[in-house]
Amino acid sequence: MLKWYEETGPDSDVVISSRVRLARNLENYKFSPLLEEKDAEKLVEEVKSITPVLAEQDNRKYYACNIQSLSDIDKTAMVERHILSPLLAEKEQTTGLILSEDETVSIMINEEDHIRIQAIVGGMNLEKAYEIANRIDDIAYEKLKFAYDEKYGYMTACPTNTGTGMRASCMVFLPALSAARMIQKLFEEVGRYGVTIRGIYGEGTRSLGNIYQISNQKTLGNSEMEIIENLKRIVEQVMQQERKRREYMLSLNADEIEDQVYRAYGILKYARQITSEDAMLYLSQLKFGADCGLIKFNREFNIHKLMMGVQPGSLQWALGKSVGSTVRDKARAEYISKELPDLI
Amino acid sequence: MLCDRCHKRYAKVLYTEIINGVKNEQHLCEECAAEYTSFHMDNPLLNPDVTLNNLLSTLLGAYTPNKTQDSGESKQDLECSNCHTTYEEFLQRGRFGCAECYRSFHKELGKTLRGIQGAEVHAGKRPKGFATSTDRKLQGLSETERLTLELQEAIEKEEFEEAARLRDLIKQLKKEESGNA
Repeated sequence: MLKWYEETGPDSDVVISSRVRLARNLENYKFSPLLEEKDAEKLVEEVKSITPVLAEQDNRKYYACNIQSLSDIDKTAMVERHILSPLLAEKEQTTGLILSEDETVSIMINEEDHIRIQAIVGGMNLEKAYEIANRIDDIAYEKLKFAYDEKYGYMTACPTNTGTGMRASCMVFLPALSAARMIQKLFEEVGRYGVTIRGIYGEGTRSLGNIYQISNQKTLGNSEMEIIENLKRIVEQVMQQERKRREYMLSLNADEIEDQVYRAYGILKYARQITSEDAMLYLSQLKFGADCGLIKFNREFNIHKLMMGVQPGSLQWALGKSVGSTVRDKARAEYISKELPDLI
Repeated sequence: MLCDRCHKRYAKVLYTEIINGVKNEQHLCEECAAEYTSFHMDNPLLNPDVTLNNLLSTLLGAYTPNKTQDSGESKQDLECSNCHTTYEEFLQRGRFGCAECYRSFHKELGKTLRGIQGAEVHAGKRPKGFATSTDRKLQGLSETERLTLELQEAIEKEEFEEAARLRDLIKQLKKEESGNA
């Protein structure tokens, strides 16, 4: 079964993925800050017990585990692939995870909320991501008693999630707007419409390879579809701006850009060692070139998959062991060279 | 410079008030400023001690009314009946202790939520099979009572055709009831 990042979704020249996360809590446990370890263990077991029902009703293979049973490399690799949140990977208490085989659905247990249902799909497709998350929510609700109030909606640990408990987001690739130093202005502009832009791994993280996350700020007072429609409109605006800017850049100095793209390919294909920062930089340039049709590969391949693969955790996960940075840089160069298709 | 009001502490705040075009300036100390004006040192924009971590709790606190203006039960008396989190603790932590906190803090919560979310009432998904209080009420009502409620609702929504239909239905039902008796 193909993972979401192995397929090419709509508008993937700008929107890498669409994600919807629903925060849910159980009525009969205290919320995360007050939850005691023995209750955390009970909670994780109770939520994990829905796995067979999920697998049956959602027609996907599902795995469940305790996060504590995973190695540090596993955890880092999962954070890099957006399966786990950094918070869950680092939490001391017993925490759990239910994951679908295609990595589209992940259910985090005992994160900031008891349950966080996440659905992630390739390209610009928020509706599909919501449809999946919503279906999982319905299945889970049959077995688990979610804290829900007529007035406040879904009751979450943090009041910034109260109501729908929904955070919808798009991961966007904005090389042209970044190059034009227009990101800061964009931050300010979209803020007025109840939307935020952040680094690639969520709150407080920096951007890597010109990739950003755009998501809704408010969760109360509007329906899920209204929130998604609003976010979609804004992402579409950003998409247009980015495409216009790309055209403009190309009209100004196509030769320089083409040269840069081919140089990036050369380094990625033939370097013997490469750091993750360099790899992200050149992969970003290569993606830009491929999206603009400046460079053509002899087979279809997803650069974003490579962008995740070159991260330290994913790389060591593939190697099956923890290694130092020099060995990593060599392994990274080898991996990229092997994955990168030839040019036409 | 000493405070214009208490003449004891150093003035740290220049308070300018313009009422009906008349400008009035006062140099005040923090304490007097907090007491006599709408100025608060714990305003997140003015307080340099605010770190990102407690920004939320500062924001939450800033949205609740000043303690001295509170009449009757103050927010400090609010405590969750289940997990015993007090409202004060909730503001500091920026997190609820359990689902019951929402109900226990009900009095203050509307304002707080409006402050961060711009709304206080959920308008989204309702879990399948969740019975609202209206649903529960309706279940215990007779057919005529239920229709009367629907009639009221239709009038409020200015759906007059529907209202007329319901009115006739109720009339009919009442006739039948009295006929049966």
